[in-house]
Amino acid sequence: MAKDNSKKRKWTRRAFIITGGLAGTGLVVGVAGNLYMNKAVKKYSGIGMGEGSSLNAWIRIAPDNTVTLAVPRAEMGQGIYTALPMLIAEELEIDMNSIEVIHPQPDKPYTNTFLVTQKEPNAFKGYTMMEKVYTFIGIVGTGGSTSVPDGFNNMRYAGATAREMLKKAAADKWGVAVAECRAEKGYIINAKNERLSYGELAEAASSIKIKDLPELKKKEDWTIIQKPIQRVDIPEKVTGDAEFGLDVRLKDMLYAAVRHPATIGGKITGINNQIDIEGMRGVKKVVLTDFGAAVIADNTWRAKNAALALDLAEDDGGNTGISSASIAQQLTDILAAKPLATPEDEGDVNTALSGSGKVIEARYDVPYLAHATMEPMNCTVQIEEGKAAVWVGHQAPFVVQNAVNEISGIDQSAILVHTTYLGGGFGRRAEPDFVKAATAIAQSMPGTPIQTVFTREEDMRNDMYRPAVASQFKAAVNEKGEIEAWDNMIALQSVSNSSMSRVMPSMAVKPKDDIATTEGAMHLPYHMNNRRVAFGQLDLPIQVGYWRSVGSSQNGFFTECFMDECAEAAGKDPYEFRRSKLDKHPRFKAVLDKAAEMSNWKTPLPENKFRGIALHKSFGSIVAEVAEITKLGDKEFSIDNYYCAIDCGQYVNPNTIEAQMQGGIVFGLSAALYGEITWNNGQVEQYNFPQYDMVRMNVSPTVAVHIMEVDEYPGGVGEPGTPPAAPALVNALAAATGVRERSLPLAKQGYRFV
Amino acid sequence: MELNINGKNVTVEVEDTMPLLWVLRDELNMTGTKYGCGVSACGACSVMLDGVATRTCILPVAAAVGKPIKTIEGIADGENQLSAVQRAWIEHQVPQCGYCQSGMIMAAEALLDNNPDPSDEDIDKAMTNICRCGTYQRVRSAIKGAAKMRAGENSLLSSL
Repeated sequence: MAKDNSKKRKWTRRAFIITGGLAGTGLVVGVAGNLYMNKAVKKYSGIGMGEGSSLNAWIRIAPDNTVTLAVPRAEMGQGIYTALPMLIAEELEIDMNSIEVIHPQPDKPYTNTFLVTQKEPNAFKGYTMMEKVYTFIGIVGTGGSTSVPDGFNNMRYAGATAREMLKKAAADKWGVAVAECRAEKGYIINAKNERLSYGELAEAASSIKIKDLPELKKKEDWTIIQKPIQRVDIPEKVTGDAEFGLDVRLKDMLYAAVRHPATIGGKITGINNQIDIEGMRGVKKVVLTDFGAAVIADNTWRAKNAALALDLAEDDGGNTGISSASIAQQLTDILAAKPLATPEDEGDVNTALSGSGKVIEARYDVPYLAHATMEPMNCTVQIEEGKAAVWVGHQAPFVVQNAVNEISGIDQSAILVHTTYLGGGFGRRAEPDFVKAATAIAQSMPGTPIQTVFTREEDMRNDMYRPAVASQFKAAVNEKGEIEAWDNMIALQSVSNSSMSRVMPSMAVKPKDDIATTEGAMHLPYHMNNRRVAFGQLDLPIQVGYWRSVGSSQNGFFTECFMDECAEAAGKDPYEFRRSKLDKHPRFKAVLDKAAEMSNWKTPLPENKFRGIALHKSFGSIVAEVAEITKLGDKEFSIDNYYCAIDCGQYVNPNTIEAQMQGGIVFGLSAALYGEITWNNGQVEQYNFPQYDMVRMNVSPTVAVHIMEVDEYPGGVGEPGTPPAAPALVNALAAATGVRERSLPLAKQGYRFV
Repeated sequence: MELNINGKNVTVEVEDTMPLLWVLRDELNMTGTKYGCGVSACGACSVMLDGVATRTCILPVAAAVGKPIKTIEGIADGENQLSAVQRAWIEHQVPQCGYCQSGMIMAAEALLDNNPDPSDEDIDKAMTNICRCGTYQRVRSAIKGAAKMRAGENSLLSSL
């Protein structure tokens, strides 16, 4: 399974060792009582981690002082290959320039407990019972903006315990007390200023056990955390050397292109021209799997052309009646029906609505959305007798192992998952579908590595979409400008019910228990005298999935636009109206104030320029955004500036956070301006970027970002920038035109942005 | 067919109609040039053909014969010296996921070759590639940074 060495990799920082036993001596550490981790670490300390000695599951130090750090989270642009090493390096006392980052094989110590518990974990002090359960299952995944919240303690303790082991090894060598030793830039130094490098100490240190958990550095002593550190993955991303899933090249590898059923829930039952296709240049095999028909060839283009030429017989599954019109009607019916659940119900909303306040009502709508990652879905699989190897950019390698196991029957422990860079994730790459298809295809040619590719067209028409959502509001605003009642009813297909049934069936929730449905619609920070949030479920065979910022991607738009409508009903300024309702939530108020200050909210704008504001908390972080636009003509605008303030608690890399806010806003704007997946005869109508367009350079605003200095536990940053983008823009449009748009995308309502 | 890629002549035995993208990626294992859409809509597959930023996913390889092809693998000035655009890309920390960035960088190199001091409007016009991560703001500042670096290097060269 050797890699094709013909490919030059001179710029690559990252070792990508495919096989390898337990090189090195590494016995491993842990701290008192955490035997479970010791075992798991010992088992995996060698794979892909280079030469040297392992100090724990994350750190390996070679005699030449190379420090290899294992980052078990997917790098999909959010900068996690830098952020987690920053936390380790801060405590380990090493230079960020001296590290190599590798993506380890998935295993239990790398579990992301925060992803499931949403609670601050500390593996080195000891996991809670539930955390132990999740660790036993081995939920190694990247999503929900959780990598830093999960790793903030764990990675610092990983660095600190390793540092103490190195100090003890040096103290033993010198015959002095540990207290006389200090760590500095990769060396242990004693009172006489003698020094030993980590490389010289690592082997001895690897068998030392630390009894007491070391103290972590105080914030004021940080030299790496909260500094704008350059990302470790960027050099190879400007030379073309960074290896994405589609860039994997293996000896004797073949390429496969897939044709999915055209109709949702359909099944391909036969291939009418198999012999003709098998005669096409480069074609090796034509296969029919449960996931679709595929052509295996010696080149992606030949596979793709041959797949397009397949004449397929398809059973449409009886779903040809599904259309965007029928879905809209179903959503309307659900809004009018009895709710499936009412997770928030404070006070007496019905009485308050029939009181003396001014009552306003509105319905908002958003469509299905595709993820449209720049790198189309792909996965390379090699199946051999009783074992498998997978090369894939995936957010959850344990999902990959389960998918390969489900198709091939190969035990998870015999499935190596080599996680490459992800050419965009946004939730799409947490799904198992493309891994299952690739496994089924690879099984047809045992021994041969096969790279299965969904063309852009197949990718877009077979996504796990952000669902279409309708949201009905009714509010009463009293003469004092208070929200007397807030009544919100939501209709959609449950995302967690649909996605978890594919990703982790054992943890699939029922639609009525899906907290993603109302995230960002419940627990709004604003003071309201009575409030109610309810929802109903749309049952359809359409697969829906997690899409950057999930429920908040629509609820942020709905609630923050309707807040503006309430402000208007109260005759108040939208910023002051929000601010007056945040007395119990000073963090929200501070963020809102900051964004208003950045935008000079209180200073009137020149003619034809307008502003809109939005405030939203998601994934543990509070973000306020002000959009500034220019009216160029009837329904023609330029989006000039965004002013964005974020409170994500104790932040790690300000350089990355700024980028995530800028990118999160553009992601939200692409949806607000253009994004729409429509259905006709049970089929998706969009199939490539000309039908499903994106914000490009000319439309993209200039975004100013301010990170609040807050000492709370970290929140996420990958997703929270997205939800306020659309409502800030739509609120600005309402200020400009006096017309309140309640349905996205705006291009469909006749708006043009230049 | 003989192609000239990054200053070297390479012979490939493929259909005349195979897009240059797939010749680079699958026949020559030069994977820096990316497949994004296959319909010339996103720019991830951009290279410089005879000095012009060109989307290769719909360009038949036969149309590239006899013209110098420059790819992301060929723009560094030497073993240890990245191009001004690449250095600016690092300085401004442009890439996020990075998948579109080869194409972005090639479009930027071509822009600066033809227009050493582009205005915002020039940048909007020339840079029509899609970046799903939304790195446009940093792309813009990096192009301006690279323009300054190039100008500085040129004046240094002419003063020698």
